[in-house]
Amino acid sequence: MTATVRGLLLAAGLAVIGYGLYGLLGDPYITDPVEILVWALGGLVIHDGLWVPLVCLLGAFLVRGPVLRGWLVVAAAVTAVGLPAVLRADDDHGNPSVLPLPYLRNWLLVLAATAGVALLLALAGRWRRRDRAARHRPRPVGRRPRPVRRRAPREDPS
Amino acid sequence: MPGRFDGRVETEPADSGTPASRRRYDPPLPAPPAFLRRGPLREGVFTSPLHEPRTVVVLGRWLGAALLVCFLTGLTSHLLQDPPGWLAPHLPARPVNGYRVTQGLHVISGLAAIPLAGAKLWAVYPRLIEWPPARSVLHALERLGIALLVAAVLLELFTGLLNTLQWYPWPFPFRQTHFWLGWLATGGLLVHLAVKAPLIAAHWWRRAVPALAQRRAFLAATTAAVGTVTLVTAGQSVPWLSGLDLLAPRRPDLGPQGLPVNRTAAQAGTVTVPADWRLLVDGPRPYRLTLLELGELPQHDVELPISCVEGWSASARWTGVRLSELVRRAGAPPGSAVRVTSLEAEGPYRVMAMPAPYVDDPLSLLALRVNGEVLAADHGFPARVIAPNRPGVLQTKWVTRIEVIV
Repeated sequence: MTATVRGLLLAAGLAVIGYGLYGLLGDPYITDPVEILVWALGGLVIHDGLWVPLVCLLGAFLVRGPVLRGWLVVAAAVTAVGLPAVLRADDDHGNPSVLPLPYLRNWLLVLAATAGVALLLALAGRWRRRDRAARHRPRPVGRRPRPVRRRAPREDPS
Repeated sequence: MPGRFDGRVETEPADSGTPASRRRYDPPLPAPPAFLRRGPLREGVFTSPLHEPRTVVVLGRWLGAALLVCFLTGLTSHLLQDPPGWLAPHLPARPVNGYRVTQGLHVISGLAAIPLAGAKLWAVYPRLIEWPPARSVLHALERLGIALLVAAVLLELFTGLLNTLQWYPWPFPFRQTHFWLGWLATGGLLVHLAVKAPLIAAHWWRRAVPALAQRRAFLAATTAAVGTVTLVTAGQSVPWLSGLDLLAPRRPDLGPQGLPVNRTAAQAGTVTVPADWRLLVDGPRPYRLTLLELGELPQHDVELPISCVEGWSASARWTGVRLSELVRRAGAPPGSAVRVTSLEAEGPYRVMAMPAPYVDDPLSLLALRVNGEVLAADHGFPARVIAPNRPGVLQTKWVTRIEVIV
């Protein structure tokens, strides 16, 4: 049963790829499919050869703590989505309703706001840990405190 | 840690366990000489405990869902915009906001897929440089399939994002490439799911795998990234989020007469309308109308959105003459399709075919006014088409001729 479903999924996937290739190569508007291949491979090389190694190196050697990590994940996402608008803010081809916002300001604003939230989270975590430590110190025997989850990655860089 | 990716294999049993019949169809490939295994190829280079299947399965579910939504809504858009002949007479003019929702979702899920793809690809990164690079012929084919999947998804997300800004730095046409790459990405995704099914099933439920504090933190960060990106961009199509629209390329209330424009009159060369402009309605009993005469026909008010393929949408109150009444007046029976021609000299949407369900819909207008004002040149003065559940590029502006074709 599961093997059948798997087989069908595989066959469907291959058929869909085949249809896509057939369409891509036969489309009258796409005069040079090699250009698409070059851009697709270029994307792979830039993403897997430059971007991810950079992230791994940063994560392994520079970035500590889950809150900072988390904020960097958010900041990277906001930048990936927002940076094209920041770069193109002045280029609307004479159509002022395209890119009508102050994107550089807004981008920095979003980064600052998310950093503010991250800072609050970090402070709240520290405060809670201190509070818990204070509460548990005089009473070492008895119910074991629940493990604090957020503290873990400090000694475990990625 | 059990289940870690680097240097271990968890989809397939060890070689000794593979049945001989299986191996006959999947001949093993020789491992490259060990001295080549240097730098990042060495074992134990990736120290994060998050390069493990459960994290990948959770991220993969979200990303897979986002990509499937993208594909289905994209397909819907393609069919509405450029229907095959057999489908055109059956396209529905309802729900009124149908295209607004599907295309809004297309862009929202596409933008959400950007951080999801980033997180997913980071988590599986050790597999990219696993050793040996290919254990067998099938394994090599599978990896080729993943290269296709990742390349197609990355290029889809990149071209889609830039298209919403009307930025085209590549040499190939956007629409056709984005459409066909969507099939390649989806096919690659289905193949990937079929190949990884046992691994996915084994890590589907949380209770089946050990808890990991870093996993919770990482998934929370990814969720926060998706949430933030959505919050600051979705306002271009979701009305109650427009106040948070900080990074989207459009805002529904910014543009001439408080409404965005995809193609301006200056871009289309229709800033000045010829003094002798008349609307020609061509049918069994063709006739012409001046703008004054059009304005004297029964006027109707409708609330309809402009919903662009680029994801933004904005509602407005349009006033004008019902298309069905104009067509009836030319002697065409209900169920007639029309061809609408714009004043613009060139452009892929200068001539627009409108299937009968849209023509007959009482909400479809040849609009003369928007929000109570005479149409600005950018919104199609002297007259434009507005119909429910249609892509914005088919809401033809600067209309000069309506021709019954069936």
